[in-house]
Amino acid sequence: MKKVLAQCKKELAQFIRDKLTVALAFLLPFLSLMLFGFGVRLEIKHIPLVVQNFDSGLMSYDLVDRFFNNEQFDAHKWSGSRPLEDALDKGLAKAGLIIPPEFSRELRQGHTATVQVFVDATDVNNARVMKNSVIGTINGFLQDNRLVPNNLPIKAEIRLWFNPGRRESLYVVPGALVVVLWIFPSLLAALAMVREKESGTILQVYASSITAAEFLFGKILAYMVIAGAMAAFLILCANLFFNIWFVGDPTPYLLGLVLFLFSALGFGTLIGTRMNTQSAAVQAVATGGFTTALLLSGYLYPIRNIVYPLSLLTAVIPARWFVQLSRDSFVRGGGWIYDWYLPVFLAIGAALFFRLAHKNMSKMQLKA
Amino acid sequence: MRVMNILESCLGVRLLALMVKETRQILRDKQQLFLLTFPPIVQICLYGFALSPDVHDLRLGIVDECKTYKSRELTSALIENQVFKIARGPDDLNSMMKNIERGKVDAGLVIPPDFDRQISQGHQASVQLIIDAVDANTAGITQGYATQMVQNYAQSLLQEQFIRPVVSQVTYAYNPGLISSWFFVPGVLGLVLTLTGTLVSSVTLVKEKDSGTLEQLLMTPAESWEILVAKIVPLLIMLNGTVLLALAVGKIMFDLPFRGNFFTYMFVSGIYIFVVISIGIILATVSKNQRQAILTSFFFNLPLIQLSGAISPIESMPDFFRMLTYLDPLRYYIDCIRNILLRGVGLEVMWKEISVLACVAIVLLLSSAAGFRKQLS
Repeated sequence: MKKVLAQCKKELAQFIRDKLTVALAFLLPFLSLMLFGFGVRLEIKHIPLVVQNFDSGLMSYDLVDRFFNNEQFDAHKWSGSRPLEDALDKGLAKAGLIIPPEFSRELRQGHTATVQVFVDATDVNNARVMKNSVIGTINGFLQDNRLVPNNLPIKAEIRLWFNPGRRESLYVVPGALVVVLWIFPSLLAALAMVREKESGTILQVYASSITAAEFLFGKILAYMVIAGAMAAFLILCANLFFNIWFVGDPTPYLLGLVLFLFSALGFGTLIGTRMNTQSAAVQAVATGGFTTALLLSGYLYPIRNIVYPLSLLTAVIPARWFVQLSRDSFVRGGGWIYDWYLPVFLAIGAALFFRLAHKNMSKMQLKA
Repeated sequence: MRVMNILESCLGVRLLALMVKETRQILRDKQQLFLLTFPPIVQICLYGFALSPDVHDLRLGIVDECKTYKSRELTSALIENQVFKIARGPDDLNSMMKNIERGKVDAGLVIPPDFDRQISQGHQASVQLIIDAVDANTAGITQGYATQMVQNYAQSLLQEQFIRPVVSQVTYAYNPGLISSWFFVPGVLGLVLTLTGTLVSSVTLVKEKDSGTLEQLLMTPAESWEILVAKIVPLLIMLNGTVLLALAVGKIMFDLPFRGNFFTYMFVSGIYIFVVISIGIILATVSKNQRQAILTSFFFNLPLIQLSGAISPIESMPDFFRMLTYLDPLRYYIDCIRNILLRGVGLEVMWKEISVLACVAIVLLLSSAAGFRKQLS
């Protein structure tokens, strides 16, 4: 135990001395959180829309006005002489609406009028959002003009739970916290491990009486202190900038956080024992850690959409379980009854990474 | 041999010799070749298969307290177009609410006992739909779909034949099947080119620095510009190979359309490769060793990717970040390749983006050359 603490102390002293790693531990995670938290939004807010109105009836003007006065749209007129597809081709608009010449007359006579809606479907997600907004606006127009029966036999009362205002930051930020808390601790741990190899001090460690487990544990303990401080700092930032705080019992999250950071550090150390140069270690963390945490954790797009054999892989990615725990704690307010199994998975992950790193380390020791 | 002779007369002996040396070095280095081929393939597949904002098969819990023909019709109307699928499980209100709280179902439908009676008596029956809105984006789309589906079903129940006053004919331009990988794969093409290009070009230069062979090169009669050109040209050819490889993977794995002009595509890619190589050279000249070069590139790449619109659409970003995207060369490149691949438009639309890219390429190339030369002297 004494050896572990001594190792931990030495590691902390080394950490504080190196300005680059201190920046790595606080400045860059902060910047990344801001970038992810503010910069990533999925839903388009002001849809650039062009309207081509061939009708001169009052009804058509009313409909067009609704698009112009709606916050959701950034509407412009498009003259009748140019084809509407041009606006989409040139990227001037993302959606287009054509109102046919007979529009008002058809409506007055009780026939069906057809309007054409063009949606730029390059971005599939926003294509759906735009289609829904256009149809919603048209439906509002029909209801206000009493063109559809107001008392339909069924009315759906829709409730949005947990996030009634549909704030996207509530979805993005808890996930971004997880991604950031995975990349940077693992990067720090990998660099610390490889540095020992590059400078040759690892041989001194082999020669000393410290065992591989003690050595690794001391290293990880030191970085747990740093990563814990990083996490506390980032959670405070998230609270300050995005107004996010624990809903309900924070203890599952806090326990999960400790285990998650332990697995991140274990992963980093594992990479560190594998790689021989700092550049190779950074690359390995960047591709192995960053890509998996970004793509397979469900941080941005739902996990259920991942194609089948690949979706099995998500089960072994700690970030995936911690994203779930993070959202439960910051948005849903889960508590122990619901989330008891998530820390268990994270603990398994932590143990696994530590075990692998230890195995690698012992192997190296034998060789030396 | 003839080809060599022709090349020699065009380029001069020295330059050709240097180029041959560089090409051999790249081809000999297995790690380098690996970097040029393996990560692009894996990344394109990973991004294409893992990222998808589709809204389908949402688990819908149903509490049907009415249990009549009409209530069952309503549920089947909701699951008709695969947005929802029914989640099996206990059908009492309490356990469904719990399931939503735990995230076991994504939405819950509650049909009250008097649903059928209200309708047959001519009153308005209300059903409740609860949507888990933690994922704000999916919840918004789901809400829109559900409203429309319930409305349509309600209209079909009306006594008198109901004529829809307005039919909206929606055309999804460029991607009628709404295949999400068509959005992500072009983005990843740009991303992969950036990551691979900066890495490979900075590593080739820094390695020469690390091993001290740069001094030896300086002793030779070769001019500094010749050294630089000889370094750039083979990289340019290799990275063009990466572009074609990535495109082929996109075509084979994701059936990516190619609607525009192939030469425009290669032209834009060529310009962007210059940008990427220059960034790599600048990184290499600024940093003292390989570790620094790679660390700095790691930090550059994060904002470069986030602000490029490769993963999340630029139109959805807040204003300030949308402004920042204009500083990101990758943004212009991805714009262009999405334009060429999906929209099938040409230079007449993209001349602005291409000229920005060209300017960036020239500025970066000149400054990287200047930096390199300073270091040599």
